[in-house]
Amino acid sequence: MPDIDLYGLRSQFSREHILLCFNGPISRSLIEEIGNALRNHLEADRVQPGAAMDVFGIYIELTQNIRHYVTRMGYSEQDGAATVVVGRDGQGRYVVLAGNLVEREDGATLKARVEELAAMDKPALKAAYKAQLRQPKEEGALTGAGLGLTDVARKSVEPLQAHVSEVNEDGRVFFSLRAVV
Amino acid sequence: MASLINDLEIQGTQSTPVVTSDWSRGCLQMEGNSYPENSFEFFSGIFSWIERYLDEGAEPLCLELALIYMNTSSVKAMMDIFDLMEEAHGRGREVRVRWYFDPRNERVMEMAEEFREDYTFSFDILPREG
Repeated sequence: MPDIDLYGLRSQFSREHILLCFNGPISRSLIEEIGNALRNHLEADRVQPGAAMDVFGIYIELTQNIRHYVTRMGYSEQDGAATVVVGRDGQGRYVVLAGNLVEREDGATLKARVEELAAMDKPALKAAYKAQLRQPKEEGALTGAGLGLTDVARKSVEPLQAHVSEVNEDGRVFFSLRAVV
Repeated sequence: MASLINDLEIQGTQSTPVVTSDWSRGCLQMEGNSYPENSFEFFSGIFSWIERYLDEGAEPLCLELALIYMNTSSVKAMMDIFDLMEEAHGRGREVRVRWYFDPRNERVMEMAEEFREDYTFSFDILPREG
């Protein structure tokens, strides 16, 4: 821990245009507070209200998805930690990344679902979203993340990207998702 | 006296809208952002109020909304409310939604329009300055 090169970390954040980064257990109030910081930032950046709402909406859906998953799986605080990054790409677009530990089979299911969504155009995504809204709570649950993921896919200007990383935890993998506004 | 007992007066928070109702006027208002973690819990009181109002009387119902950002679980809960209104409308009850939005934020208008597509009762989407 004392060996962490804080300046190196900071330089990397600057270089990669990372505005906001969080790593650790998340609570309801923490999601709201970080969300406030994000909103203030977007406002200061004079982002159009509609686009700012898309960035904020993606952030909320992804973090609340993680919270619901962690609660449902009964993960410990440590295992329920989330990693959230908001940055900008070379074109000045906002990139939202969120990741957390999931069971191996859930990681595969989620990745397959993200790939399905990534292949859909906007009208198909809208139809999928409306169909999911009409599904009863239980059936609509794709590890609980179904509707939220579709909503994020609709807001993202680029197809969603998902990645599953191997970790040395019993049967678990790290699932990360990337959306762009 | 019934209106005193039945009316809602929910203070807004960062993630939940202000909610007020007036049984005597048949009007329920919601204003602000809605992204609570547990939307079903938050919306259940509102749903019950509307359900009772529609069950117990025959007067018109007006929902006045100035909702801004809604997370997907709030959208789902709102759809349950609109479904209830659609049913009442099908039985000949007069029900109406008026959704006010800030014209600088077109996303709110698009969201309201997307809701409106699925219903046949009177649903106005109206710009209102800041």
